[in-house]
Amino acid sequence: MQAFLAILQYDFGQLSRSWISRIWLALLVVPALFLVVVADSQSELASETMARYITFVLAPISAVAISILSSGAISGESNIISDSILSRSVTRTQYVAAKIISRLGFTLLVYTVVVVPFTYLMFRYAVQDASLSGVALGWVVLASLLTFLAALGISVSVTMTAALPAAMVVLVSILVSGAVLQFLGLPWISSTAVIERLPQTFRNETAVWEQLRVLAVFSLLTIIALASSILIFRRKDL
Amino acid sequence: MYVVQASDLTKIYDNRYIALNALNLRVEKGSVFGLVGPNGSGKSTTFRILLGLQRPTAGSVSVFGDLMTPERADIRRRIGYLPTNPSFPRHMTPITYLEFVGSILGMDQRQAKVQLARLLRAVDLASAAAQHIHGFSTGMMTRLGLAAALMGDPELLILDEPTSGLDPAGRKQTIELIRELSGRDRTIIIATHILADVERVCTDVGIISQGRVIYAGPMVEMRRLARQGTISVEIEGNTGTFEQQIYALDEIGSIRYERLGSEFRITFLGTEPLAEYAQRVLSLVDRTGVDLLYITSRADEIEEAFLQRLEEDRTRGFLRAAAWASTQAADSDTRPFSALKEVEPPDASISRNPSI
Repeated sequence: MQAFLAILQYDFGQLSRSWISRIWLALLVVPALFLVVVADSQSELASETMARYITFVLAPISAVAISILSSGAISGESNIISDSILSRSVTRTQYVAAKIISRLGFTLLVYTVVVVPFTYLMFRYAVQDASLSGVALGWVVLASLLTFLAALGISVSVTMTAALPAAMVVLVSILVSGAVLQFLGLPWISSTAVIERLPQTFRNETAVWEQLRVLAVFSLLTIIALASSILIFRRKDL
Repeated sequence: MYVVQASDLTKIYDNRYIALNALNLRVEKGSVFGLVGPNGSGKSTTFRILLGLQRPTAGSVSVFGDLMTPERADIRRRIGYLPTNPSFPRHMTPITYLEFVGSILGMDQRQAKVQLARLLRAVDLASAAAQHIHGFSTGMMTRLGLAAALMGDPELLILDEPTSGLDPAGRKQTIELIRELSGRDRTIIIATHILADVERVCTDVGIISQGRVIYAGPMVEMRRLARQGTISVEIEGNTGTFEQQIYALDEIGSIRYERLGSEFRITFLGTEPLAEYAQRVLSLVDRTGVDLLYITSRADEIEEAFLQRLEEDRTRGFLRAAAWASTQAADSDTRPFSALKEVEPPDASISRNPSI
């Protein structure tokens, strides 16, 4: 447990010092504040403004940042992992679990730090057309999407030894997934479809079961990605 | 009691490269074991399997009597490991890194601070304690690695090329440190190809070649084997008469010598003790009336013995292969196909390692 906490603390420290994290946060906060000002002065609808923010700012920027941060979780340390960490009293499971919790936790922390104040300001300054439960559900669905992306990044990170190609693989997978899901007849799971439905979700105009279905699918995919990361890493030669 | 016991340890990478070939190794508690071998002989792979960083393709390894696997952090808690040319998180300083190692080991913060301060002084990194690791030289990295390996005061210390990248002063200091660390209940395994280091600190030695231990035994025995039969004398006076009578020192064909000015390097191929041969050389000096300037065994004897063992192994390998091939040819004429699987592979009948 001690080793797990030490690695967790070490990794969280690394993430908070990272320039990618700082830039990510800045790129989310500045447009959010700008949109609040615009929504206030132009009397914009809260649901539409939040949806635009997600489509043009939060989703694309977060996808890039999360892909880089998560796919570098283990591959980014491939040169020091055995010499400095795993040759000490750490089990593989402790190491990968600490990485998962740290990277997923950091992703959700940044998301929450941006989304909660933004929602509050939207409710206060924009034209009120969204319901609290709808907004909460919408944000949770989006959080599940980003969590899955982080989990996918970690599983790629376990299998690859270089961080940059791993990040590219994750980003390409996201881009290709839409077409693949269309081909498979499952367009409702694609990130584009989920994001497109968000204004209605914020206004509570979509069926709850549809959102719960998306939530369940992405949670399941996240669990599969994380479980495979642990299994693969436990069997890997370092 | 054996701290490390490896049986038929085999590692094949991607079904392409055989790194370890049924390696057997035993290291006794409290010994300083030198694992010597050329580059690519399997030293580092052996260590990585010993630490559970890699899984063996076949065979097993037990450390402190328990089977080592990647999940055995409890065993690794008792091991300190210094890899060859170690890498560390570059943004850290020696202090923050050693603190991190201490927290992984479950040490409380104050205890870790005391220990890291002591170790940084011991490895001569106290003045660089606040510098970022990314600016460190190879030697500094090795010294930091040594400090990290010692953080938990381990019972077993595994050092892979501990003097690699060090300047002569650093090398001497490291050797002294290893000497100080040895003894008591601590076991040390050192992989190196610098034989002088092995000779200085090791109590036991193992020679590894092509993934197999081809010799293992006490250092004393290695020294005895090394020195056997080689005497160098430097003389003045009637050196011609001395030279003429060298062949009379032992049976015909049992002596080789080489003359370098006034120095004669006489190699005895017989099996009698070196003291007996030295006695004969001194008698010859006496008889021929030459002046003896010095008499000694050669300075690079351990290296000679090491190379000799490698050469022997290579030669025996060819002989084994030839014997195996002839057996195969003879058997194919007389035996049905189903019986072919009973033929031993080239290595199966060989066991030259006296201690294994």
